[in-house]
Amino acid sequence: MASVFERPVSRRRLLQLAGGVTAASTLAACGGSSSGSGGGQLKVIGAGSQEAGLRKALEEYKAKNADFDFNLSFSPADQLQTSLRAQLAAGNAPDLHAVYPGNGSAMSMVQLSKAKLLGDLSDQAWTQKIPTGFKGAYQQDGKTYIFSPGTSVLGAIYNKKAFASAGVEPPTTWSELLTVCETLKKKGIVPLALGAQTPWVTQLINYALVPGTVYAKQPDFDDKMAAGSASFAGSGWADAMNKYLELQKRGYFNANPNGTTYEQATSMVGTGKAAMAVQVSAVLQAYRAAAPKPDDLGMFPFPATDTVADNWIPGGIVVGISVSAKSKKADQARKFIEFCAQPDVVNAWAEAVACVPLYSEGEAKVDPVLKPFLPYLADNKAVPFMDQRWPNAEVQPTHFAVVQELLGGKTTVDGALKKMDEAYRKSA
Amino acid sequence: MTTVRRMGGRGGIAPPWMFAVPALLVYALVMLYPSIVGAGSAFTDWSGVGEERSFVGLENFQQLLHDDQALGALRNTLLLTVAIVVVQNGLGLLLALGVHTTIKSRMVLRVIFFAPVVVSPVMVSFLWKYVYNPAPDAGLNAALGAVGLGALRQDWLGNPSLAIWSVAFTVIWQCAGYSMVIFLAGLEGVPPELHESAMVDGAGTVARFRHITWPLLAPAVTINVMLSTVGGLTLFTQIIAMTNGGPGYATDTLSTVLYKQAFVFGKFGYSTAVALVLAIFVAAVSFVQIGYLRKRETAA
Repeated sequence: MASVFERPVSRRRLLQLAGGVTAASTLAACGGSSSGSGGGQLKVIGAGSQEAGLRKALEEYKAKNADFDFNLSFSPADQLQTSLRAQLAAGNAPDLHAVYPGNGSAMSMVQLSKAKLLGDLSDQAWTQKIPTGFKGAYQQDGKTYIFSPGTSVLGAIYNKKAFASAGVEPPTTWSELLTVCETLKKKGIVPLALGAQTPWVTQLINYALVPGTVYAKQPDFDDKMAAGSASFAGSGWADAMNKYLELQKRGYFNANPNGTTYEQATSMVGTGKAAMAVQVSAVLQAYRAAAPKPDDLGMFPFPATDTVADNWIPGGIVVGISVSAKSKKADQARKFIEFCAQPDVVNAWAEAVACVPLYSEGEAKVDPVLKPFLPYLADNKAVPFMDQRWPNAEVQPTHFAVVQELLGGKTTVDGALKKMDEAYRKSA
Repeated sequence: MTTVRRMGGRGGIAPPWMFAVPALLVYALVMLYPSIVGAGSAFTDWSGVGEERSFVGLENFQQLLHDDQALGALRNTLLLTVAIVVVQNGLGLLLALGVHTTIKSRMVLRVIFFAPVVVSPVMVSFLWKYVYNPAPDAGLNAALGAVGLGALRQDWLGNPSLAIWSVAFTVIWQCAGYSMVIFLAGLEGVPPELHESAMVDGAGTVARFRHITWPLLAPAVTINVMLSTVGGLTLFTQIIAMTNGGPGYATDTLSTVLYKQAFVFGKFGYSTAVALVLAIFVAAVSFVQIGYLRKRETAA
C-alpha cells in the first residue's frame, strides 16, 4: 500500500512545511499585509479619507530626513474598526495609526486612550494652540493623544449645472430648501441623492439639521445629555428627524434610498442626475472625480430652520493620527507628528482633504467651495459632529439603524429616538 | 524506527498513536487554547483592547436574554437557516437528478451548476449587490423591465421585508451546486440493477424515486442537511458584504451581532457570550439532527 510515509519526505522537511503553512495561515488570518514594517520603516495605517494629506506630509518629511522611511497603507472606515482594532488588541499595532477624534466610536481617541493604547503628545508645543472649543476632540483628562489637521464641515454638495438648468440658487432657509427641491423635482432632476444603504451616510442629514434644531437653542445640549437632564426624544432631534422624513415623503430623495449606496449617490450628483447630496467636505474629492469637471460642484450650508440666525452648521475635527503606546519607534513617530503640526504642513494637509486648518499663520488657504462655511466657524456657530461627544460606541450605529428603519417605514420618530436614548444610557 | 502493531483480527496496520501527537499539539495550540481563553472572556466586561477587564459572572448571558437586537437576529438566523436548508437541498437534489441522466451536455451542466461554489462568497455578494441595484434601469430590475415584468421591480436589499430573502437567494444560488455534487455522489452509488428490476415489475419514475433512490440517498441527505444547517446558523460573509445587517436590523444574524458587538461597539466580553451561546446552539442542533438522520439512514 502506497502511503505518505513511503515518500522521500523527511520528518524535518515535514515540520518545515507544517511551519510554513501555519505561518502563512496566521498571516492570512490576521488579514493584514505580509510586508511587515520592514527594517527601520515607520509603519503607518491611515484613514482612506485622509490619504491625500497624510501621504503628502510623509513624503515631504522623508524628503527632508534622509534616514526616514515609511510603510503606508490605508483602510476605509469599517476596516479600521476591525483589522486595526484587532492589531491593537494583539499588541502589534502600527507605529502611527488612524484614530477618530473625541468619543463615540470603538476607534475613538477617548476609548483608545482609556485602554492605554495611545502615546501622550502633550509635551509638544502645537498642543497649546488647539482652540478651546476643539480640546474635547484632541484631549482626554487634559492630555493630548491625537493630531488632526482641522475641521471638516458638513453641508450640501451641489451640482451647479443642475441648479442652473432649474434656475435655482442655494437656499438659506428650510422653506427655501423645500421650494428649490420642488423646482428641481418638476424639472425631472432628483433634488437630493441619498445612499442610505451605506450606514454612515444615513446620519448626515440629521447631523446637518440638529445644529439648527437643537444646538442653536441649547448650545449646552451635550452637557445636559451627559448629566441626564436632556434626551434625544425630548429635544429638537425629533424636529430634525421629522424634517428628514418630510424630505422623503415629498419625494425629494432618489427612489429606494435604503438600497442605494454612497458610491451610487456620488455618481448621481457628479453626473447631474441628482442636484445635491448632504455630505462632509472630506469627500469632495470623490464627488469631483465623479463629475466631468471639478468646478461643476459647490457646497452650501444645509438650512435647518426658517430663521437664518439659527441655521448653525456641523463642523467636526477630521479623523487624525496617533502614536501607538507600544510602538518601538515612538520617538520617530512623535517627531513626524511635530512636523505635521507646523502651520504650513497643517495647511497643506487640510487643503488636500478639503478641510479648514486647525490653525494658521496669516490667512489660511482653504478650498474655495468651503468659503460659505467660514463665517459660521468664525462666529462660533459650528457644532462638532454629534457622535464625538456621545459616551459610548453604541449610539452612532444605533442612529444608522434607526434611520434606515425610518426610511423603510419600520419605526416612528419616537421609536427611533427611544432606541438612541437607550443606547446613550448604556455604560461607556 | 518506530514499531507498528497489527490490528487484532482485521489484518490492517495501526500506526502508533505518537504519530497523532504533532497534529494534536497544533490543534490544541491554534484551536483549543484560543477557544478556552475566548470562552473565558464571556464572563468579563473586556472591550477587546487594553488590559482592563473585570469578572462579571453571568451578566453578559442575562443581558443576552433581554437584548432585542440579539433576539431579532436569532429569529432572522432561524428563518435563513430553514430557507437555505429546504430550498438549497431541494434545488440541489433536482439539479443532481437532472444531470444524472444520459443527456449529452450533462458534464457541461455539472460544471456550470458547480461553478458558483468555487467563487469567493465576498465576490459573489458584491456581484449580487450589482444585480440587486434598485434603479429601474439596472441589474435584475432592468431584466424584469426588458421582459415586460416591470411591475415586479423591487428595492431588493433596501426593503426591510424583502432584504433577508434576497440574501437567502444569493446563498442558495451559490451553494445549490455544492448540494448537487453530494447528491450526485449518492446517486452514483444507487445500483442500476435495482431500477432495472423495478422497471420490470412496472414501477414508474416517481415510484422508483420514492422506493429506491430516496432511501438510498439517506447518507447524502444527512451530509447536505448537516452542512447547510451549520452554514445557515453561522451565516456571516454574505450579510456583511451585502447589507451589513440592515436596513435597520432586518438582516442581522447572530454572527453579525457578535461581530458588531466586538468590533463596532467595543464589547468583546458580551460578543464572546453571544458566540458561546451560538456555538452551543449549533452543536445542540447538529447533535439532534445527526441523531435523527442517522436513525433514518439505518431504517432505510
